[in-house]
Amino acid sequence: MAKIGAKRAVYPLFQLGGPQLRIFRPNFFMQAVRPGVPQPEDTVQFRISMEMTRIDVKNYLEKIYNVPVAAVRTRIQYGSNNKRNHKNQRVKKPDYKVAYVQLGQGQTFQFPNLFPEKEEDAETRSHDDFRNKYMESEKQRQEGDPRRGGVPDWF
Amino acid sequence: MATIFSPLLAPLRAAVRGARHCGRSGAERIMAAAAGMSALCRRLMGSLRLSGVRPSLMAAGIPGLTPNLFHKSQAKVELLHQLKFLHTTLSRKGLEEFFDDPANWGEKTVKSGDAWNIKQLRAKSSEDLHKLWYVLLKEKNMLLTLELESKRQLKPMPSPERLEKVEESMKNIDLVVREREIALRLLQTGHEKPVPGEWRHDFLGRTYWYSYKEWPIPWYLNKKYKKRKFYYLPHVERFIRLRLEQSLRTRARRQSLEKTKQKLLERKFPHLAAKSQSQ
Repeated sequence: MAKIGAKRAVYPLFQLGGPQLRIFRPNFFMQAVRPGVPQPEDTVQFRISMEMTRIDVKNYLEKIYNVPVAAVRTRIQYGSNNKRNHKNQRVKKPDYKVAYVQLGQGQTFQFPNLFPEKEEDAETRSHDDFRNKYMESEKQRQEGDPRRGGVPDWF
Repeated sequence: MATIFSPLLAPLRAAVRGARHCGRSGAERIMAAAAGMSALCRRLMGSLRLSGVRPSLMAAGIPGLTPNLFHKSQAKVELLHQLKFLHTTLSRKGLEEFFDDPANWGEKTVKSGDAWNIKQLRAKSSEDLHKLWYVLLKEKNMLLTLELESKRQLKPMPSPERLEKVEESMKNIDLVVREREIALRLLQTGHEKPVPGEWRHDFLGRTYWYSYKEWPIPWYLNKKYKKRKFYYLPHVERFIRLRLEQSLRTRARRQSLEKTKQKLLERKFPHLAAKSQSQ
């Protein structure tokens, strides 16, 4: 989606006593991330939209997700610029913002395993069997005739 | 920028969440029936309501129509009463909503319905659209989280087409809400655009849309504004002409190139050319 809605909203000039700014259809997105560096139990790591501030993150989680938030720290991760393409030009990976959210009220969070090993059903098992058989026969063909006793083919 | 996100009241959200995975399930149909029960007046109010417009402003704008608050609240109570036992999905809370249903973890494909198209969304009230936006927002967050995690674990994401569906639905909601805003603005003020503006020239004679903005001081005191030139001198006219000629020439060149390419292809594949002409 292009930058529409909250990201490009034109807000009225601030004047004393003016109404609070409100976002009606926020197009800010947050991704929960498995932390690379081990974090304390109450800390959740997110990748957030570049335009969001700490206060935005707090409001977002509290109002939309009903999660108590104690503190938020953010940083901007620099995307590496070292990769080169076939014309030897630098290719930039996009930067992103990371938020570390400390949960309130003694809540803890553990990132779940989203890809647990499932029991194989009949179809995949038969497929695997077939593949294993094929691989074995291929291996035997590569080894050659056992009666030749390891003498090379060209001899 | 301190902002407050404004999700609407919780009770109806569960019903809308019945249409999760952007599918149109039974809950939506039942909701439509319930909405039909409430009086036509409420429908009218809903269609005239605009996100972020205060009711007092509305009343001032349309003198003949004063909102009947009592009737509206009664309709809402009826609606709530009917929807009390219509939870199709469990209301999960908190950070679990960043992840898919645990039953779907480790699956290779996850079933999902179609995206919301614009016709269905036009039939919804502004309030429902607003709630649906938050449902889709959570869904998109969940899918983005899943995508990132699958990339990290070097595994294919289960049913990645869901992400496109959610994006399309959100785009359609945005379109519908903006349509309504424009219609209401045309009724109230006669302007189509939210920010007024006009076509202006810059010092090189290029024409562009200048949208007005609020200034803390009047323009004649504003040095920065007065420094800008919204006109061009007569000697620039020659260059405007040259620019026009250049653009025309590039366009003609591009078109002739396309034509020659077409001819070349037709000569190369005559049987295909005859077929395309006959169609």
